[in-house]
Amino acid sequence: MDLRRLKWWRLEQRAKPPMRRIQALWGSLAALAGIAVVVAILVPFRAHLAEATCALVLVVPVVIGVGIGGFQAGLVAVAGGFLAYDYFFIPPYGTLSVGSRQNYLALAVYLAVMVAVARIVARLQAVRAEAAQRADSARRLFELSDVLITERPLDQLSHVIASTLQGAFGFDGVALLLAHGQGAGLRVGAAVGEAIDATALSLLGSTLGTPASLVRVSPPVRLGGRLPGRQRVTVPLVAMGEAVGALVVVGRALRADERQLLSTYANQAALALERARLRAQVIESEVLAEAERWQRALMGAVSHDLRTPLATITAAVSDLRELGASLLARDRDELLGLIESQSDRLARLVTSLLDMTRIQSGALAARPEPAVLAELVEEAVQALVRTEVPGRLVVELEEPEALVLADHALVVQVLTNLLDNAALHAPEAGAIEVSSRQVGGRVEISVADRGPGVAPADRERVFSMYSKTSGAGRAGLGLAIVKAFVEAHGERVRLEDRSGGGARFVFSLKLAEPSALDEPGEARGVVSPRRAG
Amino acid sequence: MAKILVVDDDPSLRKALSIGLQARGYALVATGNGEDGVVQAALSQPDVVVLDLGLPDVDGIEVCRRIRSFSGAPIIVLSASGEEQRKIQALDSGADDYVTKPFSMPELEARLRVALRHAEAQQPGRAEEAQRLVVGSLVIDLVHHEASHNGRSLELTAREFDLLAYLAKNAGKVCTHHLILQHVWGPQYQQETHYLRVYSHRLRRKLGDWDGTMLRTHPGIGYQLVAE
Repeated sequence: MDLRRLKWWRLEQRAKPPMRRIQALWGSLAALAGIAVVVAILVPFRAHLAEATCALVLVVPVVIGVGIGGFQAGLVAVAGGFLAYDYFFIPPYGTLSVGSRQNYLALAVYLAVMVAVARIVARLQAVRAEAAQRADSARRLFELSDVLITERPLDQLSHVIASTLQGAFGFDGVALLLAHGQGAGLRVGAAVGEAIDATALSLLGSTLGTPASLVRVSPPVRLGGRLPGRQRVTVPLVAMGEAVGALVVVGRALRADERQLLSTYANQAALALERARLRAQVIESEVLAEAERWQRALMGAVSHDLRTPLATITAAVSDLRELGASLLARDRDELLGLIESQSDRLARLVTSLLDMTRIQSGALAARPEPAVLAELVEEAVQALVRTEVPGRLVVELEEPEALVLADHALVVQVLTNLLDNAALHAPEAGAIEVSSRQVGGRVEISVADRGPGVAPADRERVFSMYSKTSGAGRAGLGLAIVKAFVEAHGERVRLEDRSGGGARFVFSLKLAEPSALDEPGEARGVVSPRRAG
Repeated sequence: MAKILVVDDDPSLRKALSIGLQARGYALVATGNGEDGVVQAALSQPDVVVLDLGLPDVDGIEVCRRIRSFSGAPIIVLSASGEEQRKIQALDSGADDYVTKPFSMPELEARLRVALRHAEAQQPGRAEEAQRLVVGSLVIDLVHHEASHNGRSLELTAREFDLLAYLAKNAGKVCTHHLILQHVWGPQYQQETHYLRVYSHRLRRKLGDWDGTMLRTHPGIGYQLVAE
């Protein structure tokens, strides 16, 4: 199953490339025209000129003809020149008969010289053309290879290969078929230029079946391009002994050197495609690994954050059960209070965890509606009423009655989590400050504490799910939820330094149009029942 | 009155622990971060340290290492289930025992009692008694390679004796597989945990410790020798 043996497998091959014949025709015509001109100029003076002079001048159009059209044109030119010489310049003029013997000699010399000249010029021409071809091949190969160096995704690379090939060779159409994997058949990776019609390609695909069976295709499949001088070529792309696909090109017939070039290029393209495919595999496995890491982080955060309140509840309950009556009334109350506040915390966590999952899965979208800023803050504080937060709170809102666009439930959750976080990290009984100020069309709301603060390098990580054990300190579920909910509003949350130490979390909300509540409709209907509740 | 240092960043758990432990007659020092925990371990000379592994400032394992560098006080680590690797790291860094969150107060108190008992047993006359180890009814003579349990002499192979002696030296402490293998078998045997399963079984049989209350197994983590 040697694919390389079949580097060149032609489905359809027309005879000679047409270019040369066209050139020969032009060369012949040019030579004949030249002869006509020379004759027209020399005829008035022919009586005064030696026959040899005329013969010498007649060399010129022959050389021109050979130069343009090669040896074939040269032969035509020699024949034409010979006839013209005999007819116009060998007496008796106007006939093909030759007068004296001396004139036979002149004609013979002329003929011999002309043929020799045509030979030499034609050979020179051929050598020059070959050199030009080589230079051309080298240039094209360079251009082609150049585009393969850049790392590209597989599909983009396929397209680049196909279009570069088309440009470099002037093909009418190029299609690049990619192997799906061993035994899985071929698919069209890229197609440029004249469509190699789809039915034919699918036919090719089904005929070829697996890439390995490229070698066994026997009946040539007829595809478009039945014009004379056109051919279709299929080149298997083989890298490291494995077929990675095939190139199908339709266009003019190729010279031998071009075929060599196309073959070389196909090898390079195959390697580049294989590389791109392997890279895609690596990327895919990296993405999977990243997803897995994320999931582990989420699990870690969830279990840590759910377990923290549970630890207090379990410890407090076992105290009450064991020590019961022997506890001081104050201590018993405090333990019960802890159980209540931690149960609330647990409930909040579960709710917001569900909300976040729904938002991230797209099942729940934030629905911002006009809301009174002070009321959002109040409700968040209310949720923490059984904790120490309310006693430590300092609220300074720039314009408490400002209307902001907020999804009520989500923003209350954001504030609750930020307050909870502040209470957790501020020194015991230290003040927690909530403030707001208007900036442009937005309100910036901040929650600040006098805790240890967060190093600038860790400020982004604080909002990630990575659990506290990773060393980021404040990270965990609560702040990840804050970030998700604020971003669901199309807004941002950031963490700042506080002058004098501590952390300040700032998030923004858009200001609602002042008239939003005056208009009849949803806005009023939504806000008022909440106020009642 | 034994003094306990609690290092945990959750204020509510700190409060629940302080109420419960004080009501049980312990003196208590509590702090919410690792730096302060290390300082308190030096200043207030606690008899036992209860240390949460997830601290906001310094990693709990690092705190463990730092406290161990100057203090012999037993360290009981608080950690979440599923964090087996972290528990092992902490134990290797000098922690003595661990409690998995959430835990009940009696559970924690039982660990505290074990830690306190072994800490007391080890402290007096350490220098002169270095040839003899006593763990409850177990007596090990390191000079003559002899061991007895309830006054009855034990027939131990050399390796069994080494294992028992190592656990007895660290009585009350949870010794990780890694540490035991390294000290008893040698550094190249650190992966051979099946040795431990075989030898611990033999030791239990010879000690008459059928339910494993004396030589405790901590699955996936290590072994602990506790005086009955």
